[in-house]
Amino acid sequence: MPIKHTYLFLLGLILLSSFAVKQQNEGSRIKLITTQTQYEVGNPIVLKFSTSNGEQPLLYCSNSFGSTLISGVLNSKTLEYTFPEHITKKTGVVNWILTDKTTSIKGSFNIKPKAEVATMETYIGPPSIEAGGTDYTMLVIIPTDSLDNPVPTNTLVTEKHQFLDSEETNAIYTNNLIAFRNIYSKKESGRMLVSSESLGINSKEFTINVASAIPTDFNISATRPHQYADGNQVTTFTTSIITDKQKNVVSDGTFVTFYITNKNQNILKTTGTTIDGIAQAKIIHPDYEDTWRIKAYVDGMSESDNITLTYKQVIEDFDILFSNKNRTITVGPLHSFMGQMIPDGLHVTLNIYRDQVLIDSIIKTSFNGYVNFNLKHAMYQNGDYNFSIKTAGKTKKINTKTLW
Amino acid sequence: MVGLNKNILRTILIISYIMVIAFIISGVSALFSYLNTGADRSSMLHTEIQKVEQYTPKLTWEPLQNEGRPMDNENLNALQNDYLDAWYVKQIAYKSNKTAGIKDYYTDSARKNLYDFISLNKSKNISIEATTLNHNPTLEFFSEDGQLAVVTDRNVVEYKRIFKAEKLILETTETSTYKMVFLLEDGFWRIRHLVKEESKPYHFEAKTIATDNINIKGINYYPQANPWDMFGDDFSTKTIAKDFKIIKDAGLNSVRIFVQYEDFGKANVKPEKLEKLKQTLDLAEAVHLKVVLTLFDFYGDYSVMDWTLNQRHAEIIVSTFKDHNAIIAWDIKNEPNLDFESRGKANVVAWLDHMIDIVKSIDSHHPVTIGWSNTQSAPILKDKVDIVSFHYYEDLEQLDTAIKTLKTEIPNKPLVLQEFGISSYSGFWKPHGSSEEDQANYHKKIQELIAANNLQFMSWTLYDFTYIPKEVVGRLPWRKNAQKHFGFIDKNGAKKESFKYISN
Repeated sequence: MPIKHTYLFLLGLILLSSFAVKQQNEGSRIKLITTQTQYEVGNPIVLKFSTSNGEQPLLYCSNSFGSTLISGVLNSKTLEYTFPEHITKKTGVVNWILTDKTTSIKGSFNIKPKAEVATMETYIGPPSIEAGGTDYTMLVIIPTDSLDNPVPTNTLVTEKHQFLDSEETNAIYTNNLIAFRNIYSKKESGRMLVSSESLGINSKEFTINVASAIPTDFNISATRPHQYADGNQVTTFTTSIITDKQKNVVSDGTFVTFYITNKNQNILKTTGTTIDGIAQAKIIHPDYEDTWRIKAYVDGMSESDNITLTYKQVIEDFDILFSNKNRTITVGPLHSFMGQMIPDGLHVTLNIYRDQVLIDSIIKTSFNGYVNFNLKHAMYQNGDYNFSIKTAGKTKKINTKTLW
Repeated sequence: MVGLNKNILRTILIISYIMVIAFIISGVSALFSYLNTGADRSSMLHTEIQKVEQYTPKLTWEPLQNEGRPMDNENLNALQNDYLDAWYVKQIAYKSNKTAGIKDYYTDSARKNLYDFISLNKSKNISIEATTLNHNPTLEFFSEDGQLAVVTDRNVVEYKRIFKAEKLILETTETSTYKMVFLLEDGFWRIRHLVKEESKPYHFEAKTIATDNINIKGINYYPQANPWDMFGDDFSTKTIAKDFKIIKDAGLNSVRIFVQYEDFGKANVKPEKLEKLKQTLDLAEAVHLKVVLTLFDFYGDYSVMDWTLNQRHAEIIVSTFKDHNAIIAWDIKNEPNLDFESRGKANVVAWLDHMIDIVKSIDSHHPVTIGWSNTQSAPILKDKVDIVSFHYYEDLEQLDTAIKTLKTEIPNKPLVLQEFGISSYSGFWKPHGSSEEDQANYHKKIQELIAANNLQFMSWTLYDFTYIPKEVVGRLPWRKNAQKHFGFIDKNGAKKESFKYISN
């Protein structure tokens, strides 16, 4: 069985060689001399090993951001490994492994942050909060040293803020690399200035806008040049000063919608935005007698009381004159409330019927107190027509006029 | 006459000119309209999301008890995606010593630290292949405006291979704890501060798994019609049920079944494949057959960047079937030692080593094995596996010695002769091959050796096959034809002589 012998021989060799390795292991040739395991960030770090042979294996090391291999320098049986600057500059644990042909030793050391602050990295948000004491903004500070490392846990950070005539400072401590504090609004609206300080270094100034809270209900009023429905003058609606529940005036530009319900239950709308809490909106007078109920809303938030306006009829009656073979219809003079000619622009509607069927409807606006309708031969053939004329809410009917 | 001829000539010229022009125009317009087809509106805008999973380490968030604003799922998902991407671009950067992608996931001041490492490693010709296998992040803090988060990631398992001048210097697995500050910038959660708080060598304590009551007498199984594609379109429970009954009736107690990595959908295992596998296991259970499930068949990459994807694949399959009664053992990989040459032994062994850990971390009851292709490789990772499996296709004369040697090396673990057999092919491509009688003698003899050495066994294979995919033994006809005739049952369904010796 020669094969058997070969196997036994091989087996023997393997066993023998493993013994040999073991012996070498026992007399480990590379040993760590450096005992320091805590370093301050930024200081040079050198690991020293004693060695009995001339081998210079590469040292593997790994910090927070990456890993690399360092070559050693042999100095009369002492192997020295100098860590690159970008490793000594970052805090955290650095672990290393040194492997030569027979042994592998591993270890780690800690690079501690410095008790020094170079920059106050500050994040604050949201930048706009609501008055009233329930809303808040959050200040997050990451104090970092000159090498861009976060400072040790439990470093004191002083948070400072000013609002109206109050100035507050609060002590907070770093944890999980950051320090944070919620800053609550007060009852008033305004601007809040926030800053922070740690180990003698101050942050920039940050501004938080404390906006007033949602508006509360308000009142409205109306002003108008006169109370006549002349379709010409303008009525102005004005809100009272709209405030939140703390009596802070709402932000400029708060949108107010005025809903007008007339006597026919139609809804008219006009809108305005606030300046210093007051919103104004305008609407032209109706041209016929009407009663308006008006209510304003800040949509989804608050509403006003109801007010009622009555517009008086200005044109009680008007004349209609047929001429030019009844093909020219002159409406007017149209007199306003003092007997003056109505200002230009009053709507007059002429409805033309033939055989009780509406065949045309013509709308014209008044000029100098009159409206003229010309019924052209080409469009309205000779024959009998009925007319109705409507203006300022009044309707007059003329039956059986013959065009010729 | 002359005038008429001239006119005919002119007409012909003009008509042919018009025809040529018409032909050219129609040709150009046909080409133009051809080039304009195929772009439908939905693909024109490139609105589809093309996310390729490249890095999927196991990540488990600790319960959310963070300070500051309560965290929601959308933000946590975004944070997690960007965090894993940050690791991924870092691994790629340290592997290639290029800075591509870093700036998306690290802020201005943080990325400087990575660039320092990259330029140092580049100048010294150092490159690092690394991956992380496990993350347990805790959300410590989330700011009110949703722009800043602090996360502590505990027990990050990092595997690294460090090369200098293309030569592997060191292979290490570490367990580290990182604390980091993230800022939401330009829609990316970027790492602003990163501090390693703790680091120790990785150590996985696996529970010992009892293997005393395991006595495998089995066979490697593929259906006759669709070998190496068992869970494909031709999957048939009827065939499998019939075959399992044949196996059971032959006195065997187990089968070895293969799960193809790509066919099963890689990291995102397809539910329909799992369902087919479940049906197979159910059929085995019905006839009281146990199943050795071999994972990662036809997989051969092992590259470090692929590990997290492989592990998700294994995780899904193992966690789905760990409580299935039919499972008797997990076979991590079939014949991985054949990839030593092409993929590097260290690479393959490290892959196996960590794959065993992940399988054991999910299933602490079923033993784990590796199907080594020969006895020489079998002692590799012998302390990690619960059962040592090896294949034997060499000279039967040597088997006894080889087993004895193996037993001295591995005295305390069960040995399974997981594949053996001989082809009964003798024909044009192999004139002096073995006959069916030789095959029967082979099995008779090897069963005697198995009994004498008290081995457990799984033979190759139940059927003669008619089709062998090229991935199995290549394209050479003498190999393919030999591979077709390893069965105990021939292609017509008749039991060969060797069937008598299918078990001992």
